[in-house]
Amino acid sequence: MSAMDRRLITHANWSLLGFTAVLFFVGVANLYSASGVRIEDGILVAPYFQKQLVWGAVGLGCMAGVTLFDYRHLRALSIPFFVFAVFLLLLVPLMGKTVYGATRWLDLGFFNLQPSEVAKVATLILTASMLSRFKDTLKWGDLFFTLAVGAIPCALIFLQPDLGTTLLLFFLIGGIILFHGLKKYVFKTCCIVLPLTLPLGWFVLKDYQKERILTFLDPSRDLQGAGYHITQSQIAIGSGQLWGKGFQGGTQSLLRFLPEKHTDFAVAVFSEEWGFLGCTVLLALFCCFLLCIINTARSAKDHFGSTLCAGVFFYFFWQVLINIGMVVGLMPVVGVPLPFISYGGTATIVNFIMLGLVLNVSMRRFMFKIN
Amino acid sequence: MAIEVGSDGYQPSRIGLFLLYGLVAFLFLLFILRFWYLQILRGEEFAQKAHANRTRQERIFATRGVIFDAKQRLLAENRPAYVISLIREDCPDIPATLAQVSQWTGAPLSVIQAKFQQDSQRIKSFQPQIIATDVPFEKVTDIEQQIFQWPGLSVETRQRRYYPHGPLFAHILGYVADAGEKELRADDQLALGDTVGVQGLELVLEKRLRGKKGQNSVEVDVLGRQLEKRQEVPPQAGENITLSLDIDLQRAVSEALGDEAGAVVVMEPDSGKLRALVTHPSYDNNAFTTTLSKKDWAALVEDPRHPLQNRAIQSVYPPGSVWKLMMAGLFLEQKIDPKATVICHGQVTLGSHTFRCWKGGGHGAMNMLQSLIHSCDVYYYEMAQKVGIDNIERFGKACGFGAPTGIDLPHERSGLVPGRRWKTNRFGEPWQGGETLNVSIGQGYTLVTPLQMAVYVSALLNEGKLLKPSLIEEEEPEVRSLLPMPPSHRNFILEAMRVTAFSGTARRISRPDAIMGGKTGTAQVVRIGERRLKKHEMSYQHRDHAWLASWGMKDGKTYVVVVMVEHGGGGSAVGGPIVAKVYEALFGPVPTVDGPGTLYQRSPFAVDGAESNRRGGQR
Repeated sequence: MSAMDRRLITHANWSLLGFTAVLFFVGVANLYSASGVRIEDGILVAPYFQKQLVWGAVGLGCMAGVTLFDYRHLRALSIPFFVFAVFLLLLVPLMGKTVYGATRWLDLGFFNLQPSEVAKVATLILTASMLSRFKDTLKWGDLFFTLAVGAIPCALIFLQPDLGTTLLLFFLIGGIILFHGLKKYVFKTCCIVLPLTLPLGWFVLKDYQKERILTFLDPSRDLQGAGYHITQSQIAIGSGQLWGKGFQGGTQSLLRFLPEKHTDFAVAVFSEEWGFLGCTVLLALFCCFLLCIINTARSAKDHFGSTLCAGVFFYFFWQVLINIGMVVGLMPVVGVPLPFISYGGTATIVNFIMLGLVLNVSMRRFMFKIN
Repeated sequence: MAIEVGSDGYQPSRIGLFLLYGLVAFLFLLFILRFWYLQILRGEEFAQKAHANRTRQERIFATRGVIFDAKQRLLAENRPAYVISLIREDCPDIPATLAQVSQWTGAPLSVIQAKFQQDSQRIKSFQPQIIATDVPFEKVTDIEQQIFQWPGLSVETRQRRYYPHGPLFAHILGYVADAGEKELRADDQLALGDTVGVQGLELVLEKRLRGKKGQNSVEVDVLGRQLEKRQEVPPQAGENITLSLDIDLQRAVSEALGDEAGAVVVMEPDSGKLRALVTHPSYDNNAFTTTLSKKDWAALVEDPRHPLQNRAIQSVYPPGSVWKLMMAGLFLEQKIDPKATVICHGQVTLGSHTFRCWKGGGHGAMNMLQSLIHSCDVYYYEMAQKVGIDNIERFGKACGFGAPTGIDLPHERSGLVPGRRWKTNRFGEPWQGGETLNVSIGQGYTLVTPLQMAVYVSALLNEGKLLKPSLIEEEEPEVRSLLPMPPSHRNFILEAMRVTAFSGTARRISRPDAIMGGKTGTAQVVRIGERRLKKHEMSYQHRDHAWLASWGMKDGKTYVVVVMVEHGGGGSAVGGPIVAKVYEALFGPVPTVDGPGTLYQRSPFAVDGAESNRRGGQR
């Protein structure tokens, strides 16, 4: 091992990896409990936790792969990668797989690829690359240009339709832009104009999406569907009280009153079984995890690396905010998973790839000094 | 750190970093507060909701107590009945399911739908709701093979009340029926689908027979599938009750009464126990435990012979000459010399009215004993004028008439001992002297039930105790009041009955192996005209009611038998043979006797002034 390799390893953000590992294993243990179903003679556990371990291993491999090369090469690759992602998104309506009325997947035979996930990574890299070229805070032209590029995947994903991912991607771009900074007059104008255009968005939404939002405001509108999700989720969390009901002790989960309990609502299972204390610990873990990403964004050696990490920060931040917000009844029900806690193959792999980007930046933060 | 790093002089914007830190702090605070709100502040409430989500209370039916006769033979039992129930929540297509049930059971779809609509309001969607009852066993096997295709449906076994002897005990046992709106509201122990006693002993003994329901706590999953059942309260079966009645005797009595409308009471005077209580015509109470159709119900209610009426306690009749058993007691109390005679010319005139004796030619000179044996009306017309209506009313009521006997059956009637105040209240007119004469022979306004008469005759035999007639074997005798008669007066009346049964109007019941006593009565429904019409000359409704009150003693056993045949005709001709058959059932067949020897038994009743005439007249 060369001296440089050793430095790469010592400078890697190990605390970030540590928190990730803890979160991932909390997630797997929680999945074990969440995929249990009480039957007449005991508890039947579906093998989701085993699969999640496999995805984790695959994700870890991908993450290692992402750290192998210097992230600065990504700048050159960002445009072709973005074009490729848009191409995949265009393929979706032509040859995608339709599930529950939404066409989101490409069937690759061995694997169902979700092009919107690829688009997230590609858009993040491209946006970071573009913004790092602007030395100063953004003027109107820079802002519109950045947004226009981001609008392409957003629009394609919205049409699938997948409101959750669209919003997530939009917020991701918005977050990176805010991190980079805007001219004061641009920022102030946006603060006034954006809230005014928000109601216009209502007309873009499909009926079922409007219904979701209305149901969020008044769960009794739809006691069988989304309202039921909201109600049962709050019962599950609340009934955990201070100490929780113990591992595999969540009645709302085991008796299947809680819907989507191993995917979007997995954290409700955790809250039911570990109570307020467990939730506090979990929240603290997520916050430390996010702080570790900020540390890398702060100590990155160049603008691109820093912006890239900020992008990854927002990528995780928005998911945590939207998912937990939805589960605790502070936000409408949209299909956004909680990183490392919710079950999901593609999501897990993408999460690790994102972490790989941050690690890459952290490993190479002293490169110029050495050279 | 920034100094260390700054290789190309790059510093991320302070505002941008501040934004990121701020967001993390916001995330943490927002959700910590929210979790605190949900789990600590409202945790208790949500814990209860979670508990309510998964636990359901299930009631366990308690077996209704069975009813035995005195020899421990079943009079009312429980049999399995198959019902089809539906859990609405689990049923994807309710109209089609109801139609299928209609097809299986043959019950009209409209009836099933109507019941379903009605019950749906009371039964929660995850609770089984009965949509078809009394599915025959042969159909159950077929249905069970197909039922899995119909989610939400299931065949359940319930208990149904069955009365093996049907009409023979219908009026006594009564029946049970599904608890209706009224019962459900009055009794929170009841739930839809429970049965309650609505008539007879089933109603009166409801509390003892019903038992207590148990409760299961069932853990269910979101589909309502039952995962774990914990019995929290075990059910308590109802009490089994043994009646004093005897199936064999009841049947013999019923056969003795035959097709006549009327009632027979067989009572043990010492204990007040009823050994048979028959009323005719009867009905099959089993028809009520299944679903009785409106048509059948209407037919029962509108039947001109009133089969639902328990004539022993719910019908009142003028007692006719049987009433003289009470009147004689009053005369003795009023110090009328039993040896004093009244000359009977066949009628008495009071004012413009003529009051006739049943014997148009008159009886001649009658003392008190003779007046009872021959049932001379004129003697009572004369003596009643001496004692007056107020005494008759007081004494009659003291003998238990005009008030319910307290038997454990619903809707018992009081009968009537008329008096001045009653007349004024009822008609707004003063009492007429002639009415006293009518009352004195058990006519006019006087009304009694056969059971009241049996209680009175029993009191004559049991030291004067007016007992509550008891249907329940283990019950202690309950003395409700005492006859206002010294032993000598009671013995006088009993001796008169003995002679009447031996050689008087009730001699049809005499038998050589037992000491018998009796008094017949022929209660007029219409006034006697110039001449008493023969039975066949009158229409059914105008015919007289036949009465016979009797007692018999053999081998230390004493029974009181009272027969009343509605519109039967003469008490002697109609009542006599029936009572004789009842005693055959009680004492065995009448032995054939060669000589008259046994007929002249020593009287058990020492009576002054009765020795003179031991042989009664003929009627």
